[in-house]
Amino acid sequence: MAKTILIVDDSASLRQVVSIALKGAGYDTVEACDGQDGLNKLKAHKAHLIISDVNMPVMDGLTFVAELKKLSEHRFTPVIMLTTEAGEAMKQRGQAVGAKAWVVKPFQPAQMLLAVAKLVQP
Amino acid sequence: MSTQINSQIGIARPEGGDATQCLSFQLGSEVFAVGILNVREIIEYGQLTAVPMMPASVRGVINLRGAVVPVVDLRRRFGGESTQVERRTCIVIVEVVREAEVQVVGVLVDAVNEVLDIPDSRIEPPPSFGTRLRTDFIRGMAKMDQGFILILNLDRVLALEELEALSVGGGTEMPVVGESAPRDADAVPA
Amino acid sequence: MNVDEVLQTFVAEARELLLGMEDSLLALEQDPADGEAIAATFRAIHTIKGSAGLFSLDELVAFAHVAETLLDRVRSGQVAVNGELIALLLECGDQLGLMVGQAAGETLAEDTAAAHAARRADLVAALQSHCGDTGATVATTAPATDEPSRLAAEEEVERAHNQAWHISLRFGPDVMKLGMDPSAFLRYLGTLGTITHITPLWDRLPPADEMDPECCYLGFELDFLSDASREAIDSTFDFVRDDCRIAILPPRAALGDYLRLMAEAPEGTDRLGEILVASGALTAAEVERALDRQRRAAPPRLGEILTQEAGVPPVLVQAALDKQAKVRDSKPAASRFVRVDADKLEELINQVGELVIAGASAGLLAQRNGNGALIEAVALVERQVEVIRDRALSLRMVEIGESFNRFPRVVRDVSRELGKDIELVITGAETELDKTVVEKIGDPLMHLVRNAMDHGIEPTEARLAAGKPARGRLGLNAYHESGSIVIEVADDGGGLKRDKILAKARERGLVAPGQVLDDREVFALIFEPGFSTADQVTNLSGRGVGMDVVKRNIAALRGSIDIDSREGAGTTMRIRLPLTLAIIDGFLIQVGGSPFVVPLDLVQECVELPACDQRAQPSHYLDLRGEALPCLNLGHLLDLESSGGRQNVVVVKYGNRRAGLVVDRLLGEFQTVIKPLGQMFRHLRGIAGSTILGSGEVALILDVPPLVQQAADQEARRLGRLG
Repeated sequence: MAKTILIVDDSASLRQVVSIALKGAGYDTVEACDGQDGLNKLKAHKAHLIISDVNMPVMDGLTFVAELKKLSEHRFTPVIMLTTEAGEAMKQRGQAVGAKAWVVKPFQPAQMLLAVAKLVQP
Repeated sequence: MSTQINSQIGIARPEGGDATQCLSFQLGSEVFAVGILNVREIIEYGQLTAVPMMPASVRGVINLRGAVVPVVDLRRRFGGESTQVERRTCIVIVEVVREAEVQVVGVLVDAVNEVLDIPDSRIEPPPSFGTRLRTDFIRGMAKMDQGFILILNLDRVLALEELEALSVGGGTEMPVVGESAPRDADAVPA
Repeated sequence: MNVDEVLQTFVAEARELLLGMEDSLLALEQDPADGEAIAATFRAIHTIKGSAGLFSLDELVAFAHVAETLLDRVRSGQVAVNGELIALLLECGDQLGLMVGQAAGETLAEDTAAAHAARRADLVAALQSHCGDTGATVATTAPATDEPSRLAAEEEVERAHNQAWHISLRFGPDVMKLGMDPSAFLRYLGTLGTITHITPLWDRLPPADEMDPECCYLGFELDFLSDASREAIDSTFDFVRDDCRIAILPPRAALGDYLRLMAEAPEGTDRLGEILVASGALTAAEVERALDRQRRAAPPRLGEILTQEAGVPPVLVQAALDKQAKVRDSKPAASRFVRVDADKLEELINQVGELVIAGASAGLLAQRNGNGALIEAVALVERQVEVIRDRALSLRMVEIGESFNRFPRVVRDVSRELGKDIELVITGAETELDKTVVEKIGDPLMHLVRNAMDHGIEPTEARLAAGKPARGRLGLNAYHESGSIVIEVADDGGGLKRDKILAKARERGLVAPGQVLDDREVFALIFEPGFSTADQVTNLSGRGVGMDVVKRNIAALRGSIDIDSREGAGTTMRIRLPLTLAIIDGFLIQVGGSPFVVPLDLVQECVELPACDQRAQPSHYLDLRGEALPCLNLGHLLDLESSGGRQNVVVVKYGNRRAGLVVDRLLGEFQTVIKPLGQMFRHLRGIAGSTILGSGEVALILDVPPLVQQAADQEARRLGRLG
C-alpha cells in the first residue's frame, strides 16, 4: 500500500505541485493549509511522513511539530520542514521541537522527492 | 461515396468536393436546402413564446430540453407573410458559428422533405435576380430532377445584426439606453 | 491535475497575497508599529517566493528574495518603517504582480518589458540600500573542507583495495523519536547503488530491564558499490547527521582513514577490525598494517574522521517559540475555506436550476393529478429544492469588499498624482453579491472612483476658498435594497454643474430647445456617448470616453446607475445591481396570453384595476389609497392583445420610484431560473432574460426599470408632440 504523506503549507499551489510530484513517485498525499488543519487531518488520516512549512497563519510549523510530538500515534512520524530561512537560528528552534529534516525553499519538486525518499520509500 | 467518408470522419465539406449533403425543406411551394452539417435536429412545432419588441421574423423562443432557443420564421425573413402553423410545420434546429461562438437557432419551415446528396456539378451560382431573395442569402442553386433547389447561406440568413432586438416599443421609439439606432431588420424582397 | 493547472492556482494565490500585502502596507502607513501588518507582509512575500520556486520562476524568486530579506530586517526591528519604505514595498508588490502576470502568460510589449526590468533593477538596489547592504549577500555556511585531500597531501598514502564505499553508521538514541527510521536510510542507499555487505551492530543494546524501547541502539557497517558522487551518498544522512556518528570512506580509501574509523569506533578498534575483515572491506593484512601505523604514529585527533560532523548543541529557545505562538494570524477563519473551481460552482448552480424547473414541473403534474398525498410529497421536495437553491447560490456570494480592496491603493496613488489630499471611507464592504457580478463591476467602479477624484473633488485651494476642509472625502458604500445591491461612489466635491451640462447637451442636440428636464434627467446626460464636461483633459479621465461605457457595462449586468448631485456639496453615483444572475424569486403574471415574470423583490402588492380604469390607455395613474400611482399598460407597451377580463395592477417599487403594471392575470410566486436569451436578444431592453415554467413553456422576465422609463419617455414625447 502506498505510503501517505501529509503536506502542510498555506500555499495551495505549493501543496499541489508537491502533491503531484509525490503522487508521481507512488505516494499518497493529504493536504492541509496550516498547522491546525494539519492536526485535524491527522485525526482522519494516517501519515507516514509530514512535510510542513514553518511560516503559516493560524498555527505555524514549529508549534505544529511540537503539538504533533504530543500525540502518541504520530510522535514517531518523520517531519520535513520547509523554510525560506536557511538560518541556523531557525533550524535550532526546529530541533528544539524535534524537527530535524529541513528543505530550503525555493526547491524543485525533484529535490523534494529526494528528501522524502530518504525517510520513506513509496 | 466521398460524402459518406467525410461525414464518417467528421470533416465538414459544405462546399467543394464531389457532393454536398443537404437537408431540403419547403416554404410554400418552393424548395430550399441547407448543409446537413448545420442541422442539429428537427422538431415538431410546439409551445412557442413570443418575444415582444423583436422584428417579426423572430417568431419567439422555445424550450429545447432546458435551453431557450430563438426561432426564426424563414418565410417572414424572406419578406413573405408569417408562417401559418399547420400539421407539417417543423422547426429545424441549426447551428451557426458567429464570433467563434456556436449559436443554436430554430428555423420555422412549412415542411421538411429529405436529406439529399447534391453533386457539386449540379450546383450553380444563383442568378443575379429572379429568386426573390437577397443574393447573399443564397449559396447556390442546384438543378435536381424534381426542379431547382435554393441552397441557403445560413450564416447570412441568420445574421444576428439583422435579427437583433429593436428597442422597446416596436422600433418607432428612441432606444432606451444609448444603443444602436433602430432599423428595419427584415429583408426587403428583391 | 497537471502542473499547468497548478500554475493557475499559483497565479490566483499570488495575486491574492499581493492584494493582502497591499492592505497590510497601507495599514502600516497608518500605524508603522503594526507588528501584525509587518508579519503579514513578510508572510506574503515569503509564500510567493516559496511557491514560485516550484515553477522555476527564478527571476521572481530572486526579486522576492531581496524584498524578503529587507522585510525580515523590518520584522526584527533592524530596519525602521517609514513612508519611503512603504512606497518602495508597494512598488515591489506591483512588480511582483507584473511578474506573476507574465508567469500566467501575459505578455508585455518589448519596450515595456525592458522598462520594467530596468525598474526592477532599481528596486533591487533600493531594497538593498534599505537593508544596509551594498549588494553583497552573506555567504552561506562554507562547505566542510575536503579532509581526504588534505590528508592525502600530508602523508604518503597507502590505500585499501576495497572497491566499495564503506559506510559506518551509529544511530543516535533519539532518531526514532525524531521520526527517523534507520532502515529507511538503508533503503534509500539501495536506490543509489548496491549494498554488498552489511553488518548490524547492537553492542550498545543494554540489558532488557534497562532498555528503552523507544531508543535506537543500532549501528551498521556497510559496503556499498555505487557510481554516485560523495555528495549524493553523503546527503542520504542529511536529516540524521546531527544525531548520528557517520563515516563514509570512498572506494580505495587511505588505510589511515580506516584506521581512524577503527580507533574511534565505540565497539573498540579490534572489534571493528574484525568486522571489516569479516565483511571483506579490508584484508587481515591491511588491518594489521593499519594498526601497525597507529602504533608508530600519534593517535589521530578525535573528530577528524572524514565527513563526520559535530552535533550542534541544542539551544533552548522556548521563549522564542512562545512568542511565535502568540503572533498568530488574525484570521483563523481562513483555514476553513475551500478553493473551488468557479466552473464547478457554475455547473452546480446550473444543475440546481434544472432541478428547480423539474420540481416545478412535478408540482404542476401533481396538482393536475389531484392526489393529496402526492401533492404534499412534491411540495416537500420543492421546499427542499428551494433550500438547496439558496445554499447553492450563497456559495457564489462574495463580499463586495473584494472589489473595494483595490481602492485604498488607487486613492492613495491617484491623490498623490493629482496633488490632492483625499480620504477614502469604505462602508458596507461585507455586503454580499454574486461573484460573477463582483468580477464585472470592478472596471466601472474604478472609472467612477477616478472620475470622482479627478473631477469631483476640487483642488485644496478651491476647497479652502469654499470653506470646506482641505481634505477631500471619497466614500464607497454598499447595501442591499429590495433584491438589489446598491453601490455608491460619493464625493464631497464641487458637484455637477447642471446648467453647464444642459447647455452642452443643447449644443449637441441631445436636448430639444424648450424641453424641460428634472435634475436626474440632466445628470443622466453625462452618460451619453462622447459627453464630457471636463474643462481640462487629464490622463485620468475627462476625455469624454468612459461614462457611457460605464453605463453600458452596468446595463449589461441588468443594473442601472443614477446620480444625485448638489453643486458645491458633492456627487453620489448610485449603481443598482441584481444580487445574482442565476436564480431569483419571481412573480408570474400573464399579459395577452403570454406569461411573464416580475422579480418578486420589486413587487409590493397587487390590486384589482377598478372597472372605471379598464380602458386601453397606454399609461395613466391610479388612486392607490390616496397616492397617485403611475400605471403602465404592459399589453400596450409590449404590443400584446389583452385576453380580456378584469385586469390587475402589480405595484412595483425600485429605488424610490413606484409604478403599477397593468396585467391580465396574476399567476403567483415562482422560483425563476434565469436562462440567458442569447446573442440575438442582446440589445433587447425591458426583458432581462427568460425562464422555463413547470409546463415547459418559456416565460420572459421583465426588466422593470427600463420598461417604466420607456413608458415615461413615450408619454413625454407624446405630450411634447401634442404641445
